[in-house]
Amino acid sequence: MKNLSDHFVWKALKEGDLKAFSLLYKTYYSMLYNYGLKISKSPSLTEDTLQDFFLYIYEHKENLSDLETIAPYLYSSYRRHLLKTMKKKSRTIAIDEMEKTIIDVNFTPEELITHQENETFKNKNILNLLNNLPKRQKEALYLKYYSGLKTNDIAIVMNVNYQSVVNTIHKALKNLREEVAVHQLFNS
Amino acid sequence: MIKKNYNTIECFLSDTSFTNWVKKNRLSDASFWEYWIDNNPKSKEMANDAKEIILGIQFKKTELDKEKVSSEWEKLEKKIKEKHFPVFKKATPTYSRFIGIAASILLLISLGAYVANKSFSKITHKTTYGEFLNLTLKDGSKVTLNSNSSISYYKNDSRKVWLSGEAFFEVDKKETTQSKFWVLTDDLTIEVFGTSFNVDTKHQKTDVFLEEGNIWLALKNGQETKMKPGDFISFSSKRNLILEQRSLANSSHKTSWKNGTIIFENLALSDAIKRIEDTYGLKAIFKDEESRNKIITGVVPITN
Repeated sequence: MKNLSDHFVWKALKEGDLKAFSLLYKTYYSMLYNYGLKISKSPSLTEDTLQDFFLYIYEHKENLSDLETIAPYLYSSYRRHLLKTMKKKSRTIAIDEMEKTIIDVNFTPEELITHQENETFKNKNILNLLNNLPKRQKEALYLKYYSGLKTNDIAIVMNVNYQSVVNTIHKALKNLREEVAVHQLFNS
Repeated sequence: MIKKNYNTIECFLSDTSFTNWVKKNRLSDASFWEYWIDNNPKSKEMANDAKEIILGIQFKKTELDKEKVSSEWEKLEKKIKEKHFPVFKKATPTYSRFIGIAASILLLISLGAYVANKSFSKITHKTTYGEFLNLTLKDGSKVTLNSNSSISYYKNDSRKVWLSGEAFFEVDKKETTQSKFWVLTDDLTIEVFGTSFNVDTKHQKTDVFLEEGNIWLALKNGQETKMKPGDFISFSSKRNLILEQRSLANSSHKTSWKNGTIIFENLALSDAIKRIEDTYGLKAIFKDEESRNKIITGVVPITN
């Protein structure tokens, strides 16, 4: 049902329906803002780039391709837009380099549910361990478990293939598990 | 139960039954997977990895304040509207500037004339309580307007009507032009091509009952749905919710009012009274609360 309404909202937007656009904006603003803030670490830059991004979408609505699901498109385009803006501001680092070095998603204690369903990760130092993971792994974890994107969608957003997303998430959880084990060993 | 081979981690991840087991959603999946893992020791590690990926890490999601999002939206909406009706700021060569201004004046005049022409020729039919009205529109379609209701349409286009209250439509099929007929309410838009149906917009929702033919509904939340004869749907855009959607075997009570009577069939007295209140604009008071739920069957005339 979600996809069906996605399809119609997108179609209406392409026809210039401002109400459909408002619905789209209000549905995704919060999630994109959270994601943007993780990347830019600046509330004002996140707000500004989001406004520019949505304005760009509306002004180019006729040229947008047909979509069945909106989320991956918005995440990946906004991510690209934000990185481009950040690059202009720093002027020194190439954009490919930026992706690897700048996107460093860090989690806060408020975001982590202390009572994890996953037995392995019931550890009070999980937050530290999580934040010390490689950057790509953290972003993949964020998109999967925080944003709730599907593996296919994450592949589009991070511009890699499906297999690579599965591997990255698998590796992240494995690293985490090993860290937890080491931690427990030294503290028991 | 025989399942396919699970050679890679993706096989587990894309398996609904496996996910059900991990999330403890279904008991039958649980017994199967526990048995399967005991009997496939080689794949045990892979299955555990897949389980771990599905469970993952849980986060608390913070949503931004709704008012904050709304105010950001208003800012953007203003920007969009300004750009669509731009003000000339930059100094441009005189002649092209003149053409630009002339063109926009012309556009404004024609737009104004168009709007004026459209809005001045709007026709409205209205009924008060205890009254109902049989209309034939210019295109031959018949409308029966229930009490305390109104429909309106532009003079040049009687196949697009706005409804508040309740009405029954018998739309004339235009075989040659294939042109459609639209009914618009606060909650939804009905698109039809020759059919008969009932629409009721009282109490901040829109009920549609289709007697004959096929119609398309476009709900205000973007959803679209097709109705078959006998289908009934009730949608509220205020609550963004489909309140009721089913197929009615016996439908005479939905449309009987157009023949001058309201039929109640095994209806709670409180619901029946609500219909009578809507029709006559009266307010009923229950002396004892218990009688509210009493089930009644009967007929009431629609006009005084």
